Amino acid sequence: MINDAPVKLGEPALRWSARAHSIAEIESELARIWASQDLTTSMDGEPGRHISARTSVMNLVVVAGRPEIAERCAATIQALTGRHPSRTIVIGSADPDGPSWLDARVEAHCVLPREDAPETCAETIHVKCGGESGAHLAAIATPLIIHDLPVTVWWPGEPPLTSQAAQDLFATADRLVVDGSTWSGDGLARLRDLANLQESSRLAISDFALVRQSRWREAIASIFDDTDFLPYLRSIRRIAVTYGTHDETCAPGSANLVKPLYHVGWLASRLGLSVVKPLAPVVSHGSASSTTSTTRPGPARPASGRPIVGRGLAATLTDGRADVAVVARPVVSVMPSGTTLRVELLADRRGSELRADVTAEAETVHVRVWQDGVEAWDRSFRAPRRTDVDLLAEAIEAGRRDPVAVGALRSAAALVGDGMP
Amino acid sequence: MKDLRLAREGRKASRARPVENVLREGLRLERVPDPSVLVLFGGTGDLAHRKVVPALYQLWRTNLLPHEFVLLAIGRRPYDDESFRRDIRASLDQFSRVLPIEDDAWRSFAERICYQHLDFADPAGFDDLASRLDALDKERGTRGNRLYYLATQPSQFAEIAGQLGRAGLDHELHDGGWRRIVIEKPFGHDSESARRLNREVGKVFRESQVYRIDHYLGKETVRNLLVFRFGNGIFEPLWNRRYVDNVQITVAESIGIESRGAFYEETGASRDVLQNHLLQLVSLVAMEPPARFEADALRDEKVKVLRAISTASGDAGGDVVRGQYGPGWVAATQVPGYRQEREVDAASETETFVAARLMIDDWRWSGVPFYVRTGKRLPKRATEIAIQYREVPHRLFKDEGVEPDANLLAIRIQPDEGIMLRFGAKVPGLGLDVRSVTMDFTYGSAFSVDSPDAYETLILDALQGDASLFTRADEVEEAWSIVDPIVDGWADAAAPDFPNYDAGSWGPAAADELLAREGRRWRRI
Repeated sequence: MINDAPVKLGEPALRWSARAHSIAEIESELARIWASQDLTTSMDGEPGRHISARTSVMNLVVVAGRPEIAERCAATIQALTGRHPSRTIVIGSADPDGPSWLDARVEAHCVLPREDAPETCAETIHVKCGGESGAHLAAIATPLIIHDLPVTVWWPGEPPLTSQAAQDLFATADRLVVDGSTWSGDGLARLRDLANLQESSRLAISDFALVRQSRWREAIASIFDDTDFLPYLRSIRRIAVTYGTHDETCAPGSANLVKPLYHVGWLASRLGLSVVKPLAPVVSHGSASSTTSTTRPGPARPASGRPIVGRGLAATLTDGRADVAVVARPVVSVMPSGTTLRVELLADRRGSELRADVTAEAETVHVRVWQDGVEAWDRSFRAPRRTDVDLLAEAIEAGRRDPVAVGALRSAAALVGDGMP
Repeated sequence: MKDLRLAREGRKASRARPVENVLREGLRLERVPDPSVLVLFGGTGDLAHRKVVPALYQLWRTNLLPHEFVLLAIGRRPYDDESFRRDIRASLDQFSRVLPIEDDAWRSFAERICYQHLDFADPAGFDDLASRLDALDKERGTRGNRLYYLATQPSQFAEIAGQLGRAGLDHELHDGGWRRIVIEKPFGHDSESARRLNREVGKVFRESQVYRIDHYLGKETVRNLLVFRFGNGIFEPLWNRRYVDNVQITVAESIGIESRGAFYEETGASRDVLQNHLLQLVSLVAMEPPARFEADALRDEKVKVLRAISTASGDAGGDVVRGQYGPGWVAATQVPGYRQEREVDAASETETFVAARLMIDDWRWSGVPFYVRTGKRLPKRATEIAIQYREVPHRLFKDEGVEPDANLLAIRIQPDEGIMLRFGAKVPGLGLDVRSVTMDFTYGSAFSVDSPDAYETLILDALQGDASLFTRADEVEEAWSIVDPIVDGWADAAAPDFPNYDAGSWGPAAADELLAREGRRWRRI
């Protein structure tokens, strides 16, 4: 079906749609789209604008466990058509115990970037598989991939990272995009699997949970742009991350810990810290500050919720000269479970103390710094919430492996160790 | 005093060299500049309203300015903060790159706009300015970091710099904040005036504090030129005299002189475009790879190119052609000749077109002519760099149909930014006909996102202390040393037969002859 309806600048328009029931039929439909001599459209009633040939800068394979995820992902990708035209293959499966079948919808979406330019078009293939064929993701995606273009696999939800089906699909891919903050439980077992995948393959990994924290990282890094504070950077002795939970009991697995751990992982990797003691539950002695680690309380601080005495996790890192205490502390909060509320750094250099307190509030990250108990810095960074479109665009634009992401994931997984969860 | 002296020399007083901020490594987000005040001299002027403030609004809207930011506009007109904000809003509605203006972004941006009435000749006014800046530091948390942006007449640059120095507004150590000054081109009108300006500004500010802005260097395609050359492995080996026959750089404008008759009469195409935009493009094309992607490493390499350009004088040797447009037709509109423009002498000898054949006497480019041209009232607006490769050493297909043209790499800077590579291909069929075909990369199709305006790029760089895309004093002086002999030579020569090209044509016939005598021609654009 060809759609030659008028277009609006910058808005994706569906130009072609067809059904197919096999990979061969899909390939045939893809060829027909661009062989069509009638693929012209009109704008403001003037006929005859030629639609440009396919423009693709990458292949994007989306594994959508549920139909609503597939719809949400497709909408996100359409919004990126102009910026990152891709051949997109959205794979969903159903009725795994029934007979094998395949039902596909082949679409071409086009965007008019400027009035004097031809349209930029990209293909989306929605594939739904039943029975055994749905378990062989690589067998569906591989023949549909445009060769010589990079392949990104976006796997929202709970990717079975160690399964054979996933491994086969990853073997054809250059990048894997996940969102660790949506994983069930504390998410740490899957985080470890993700780190193992990173070490054992050439995949570049983008985790929305880590990408979302970029403004936090900018805020924290900015503290040490100040030459008065820079000498303290190599003398950090404590890193504390406070995160939100909805569970008053803070039972294990009640909050996703991926985002809090990424903060520590990023700092540890940049500062070259290694793990002495991996994360373990704090041993409570009836006091909020009694943990397995030695901590130095800072000035009284306003909290976003009620602290839960004796809860949380603690670990010990080292820079080779001294230990660095790590604390991940839950606070009951109305924010989504696992959301970072505060990052605190304490540095001690030749008897002089620097304490940094980084908090998020609405669309702002706020940084305050005390030097020997005297407030020395107070700065806000604007940090508007980012949509899936922004996050996916940033993940795609990262190119090859991002050393910051590699280091943060590796260090976060090292903190989990073998004993967690 | 010792601290102050060492600071002026760009050295710290007694601190050991600080360790590196390793947390910065690999951060992909654009770094947010330090809290700061941008002090905009000429805040009521055309440049401020059309370019500088819209760029600042765009940076603010996209979260690239610090939360603790103040725009303090300086002017002679009797505004207060509120009335100035109303004027700025009206200008944004007209000149912003992204419309409509977002109300929320505007409200928060407007809160950060202040106005100060000031006569540049009045020392007491600068003392008031110092007090106002100190007060803003306290109220707004801007910490003494100041970017002085001189969007004024060039004749006022030295005076303002001097007054800033007299009021102590250049001192970086007195309260810990940095101080930088941005100067808009033209940087002088010849070598002597450029040296004088550099000297006057240098009495107050160290060279590392001075940011000379040539907006061409902030254009996306010009920045991409560095990526194209030094980020790809396949082009640089072919970027030398062995493979390149000639290089052609065109900066063509279809417009005339608009309402700038008086200015243009004093300037002409050589000073307006050749001395800066064209020679900047020549140096970016011809420079050696810098050791590091750092401001001084880049600028060192550019200066080496300028020093290696052999200079012509006037029309001598036929290596320089000047022209002036007469009446004609441009874009289906009849337009007057230059001498009929407002504020232009009816017998004016000012050139509105200049073409030159430049030779770069270095190992890489020896014997390769760089043909450059710029002009007003040419058929279309286009800026382009064309690398014309040599013919194949042996014509294998000379008996088989049409021989393809030699390979060509064209880098389009404006409009329709992109890169085109021309090569020969076999025409489908039983014969062996060969035709030239092109591989075309267009920014607009590959990346359907708006590129930032050059001013956004450059202002953000200045706030972050990155001088890579700004012109250094010695670059300016070297460029003048190329242009001065040309202009001086014209002054001594017989009056040209102006006008010598029709508006809407590609310039005087002598510009074509410049290439034709060597068996070449200008690339058709």
